[in-house]
Amino acid sequence: MHHMNRPEIRAARPDPGPAEGEAQDLAFLLAQVARGDHQAFEAVYGQLAGPVYGVVRQVLRDPAQSEEVAQEVLLEVWRSASRFDPARGSGVAWVLTMAHRRAVDRVRSENAGSRREQKVASETATEYDDVADTVETSLEGQRARRCLDSLTDLQGESIKLAYYGGYSYPEVAQLLGVALGTVKTRIRDGLIRMRDCMGVMA
Amino acid sequence: MKALPDNMHVLTGSYALDALDAQERAEFERHLQHCPSCQAEVRGLRETAARLAIARAAQPPAQLEQRVLAATYRTRQLPPQAGGRLRWDLRQTRLARLFAGWLAADQSDSSQPHRSVRRSDRGRGTGWSKSWLRSPRLVGAVAAASVAVAVGLGITQVSTQHQLDSAHATSAAIAKVLDAPDARIEAAPATAGGAVTVVVSDLQREAVVTTSGMPPLSASRIYQVWVMSSSGARSVGLLSSTDHVGQLLASGVRPGDQIGITVEPSGGTSHPTTTPVATVPLTT
Repeated sequence: MHHMNRPEIRAARPDPGPAEGEAQDLAFLLAQVARGDHQAFEAVYGQLAGPVYGVVRQVLRDPAQSEEVAQEVLLEVWRSASRFDPARGSGVAWVLTMAHRRAVDRVRSENAGSRREQKVASETATEYDDVADTVETSLEGQRARRCLDSLTDLQGESIKLAYYGGYSYPEVAQLLGVALGTVKTRIRDGLIRMRDCMGVMA
Repeated sequence: MKALPDNMHVLTGSYALDALDAQERAEFERHLQHCPSCQAEVRGLRETAARLAIARAAQPPAQLEQRVLAATYRTRQLPPQAGGRLRWDLRQTRLARLFAGWLAADQSDSSQPHRSVRRSDRGRGTGWSKSWLRSPRLVGAVAAASVAVAVGLGITQVSTQHQLDSAHATSAAIAKVLDAPDARIEAAPATAGGAVTVVVSDLQREAVVTTSGMPPLSASRIYQVWVMSSSGARSVGLLSSTDHVGQLLASGVRPGDQIGITVEPSGGTSHPTTTPVATVPLTT
């Protein structure tokens, strides 16, 4: 019976804790954007263009392609701002999930053939580290890096290859020469550890 | 890649990092609909992944801003979803009450094989308390069905844009039924196990059919849902072939119709070819 009790369902969901003030600001701005407020959108752009472009570029590498995808994502924020629901997660996560998903989808659709496999075979696990022109990292970004560094090697490598490299977990397993099950577990354990390290859970 | 439900949970991390292939992503998203703890975990891990992006923020090309801003003036925005968050919360509450009434009603005064609770007599017994109703397994199944309804309405951020759009359309239509002032619940067990729950609005002539705990079928068979009336049966849709659950919207239903489920060849048929494994009369 308690299964259908709304408050308990809610309690099972963590409330995202970080950067509370900033997150609320962004939620407010997105609500303004949903009403067609171009100025609010400029403010959203100011907050998120760097991370959006950064993560897309990290995955795609090619600057021209990255710019194109970043533009698509940011325009999508304008277009679908009315669909953002602060009850289901922060605005930052909403936008960056969209950005990463789109970059990865682009990689997978383009590399459906053998090019991708060759790349997987030849690429070394350090390449994702070489992003150029990273902006002054925010405090939050610095904290994320520290937390990432605190993981075990296998956790850290798996997460970086999956997220920054845009590889699927079977590709990650192949790159690291470990079993599929191990990679799945390490990715999850590592992310949970990062989550706790960064205080994402309230 | 056939993962057992137990193995599914470990995919929360890979899912949050977009590290599943298209097929596994779809499978996981189906699993997610019935796994509130996975939803909670995915949500936290998504927030974490976002911080990984922030750690790699990079200076975008100077011309990008002007280009994006200019494009906003040429781009129409999507309207809010039918039923925003507040309405969603309200709907959750109503739905929970409706189900609570449904479960609480256990005065046995008839042997009718289904059971019904309407909003107006919520909490008052309206017949039908066969022993299977008291079985914890069934109560769990019905609770799961109600969670499935809730999830169908709420969890949309997990899907790709395309799935999102169609999910939005469906959940908006479903939401309309649940919001109807005359919405009521009808339910019945299936003969071989499992249960069918129907939320129906006579005013809107629509019904939301939710199933739970249906026994698995061989690969060549599928459960098909029908609106059955004296003039014949028309198909509402098929349950998922992998987990035999589903939430379907039946339009144009009338009092006196029945919702029926039959076992059919895997692609579905135009008319029922077997005896229904479950029927739910839409009484008035």
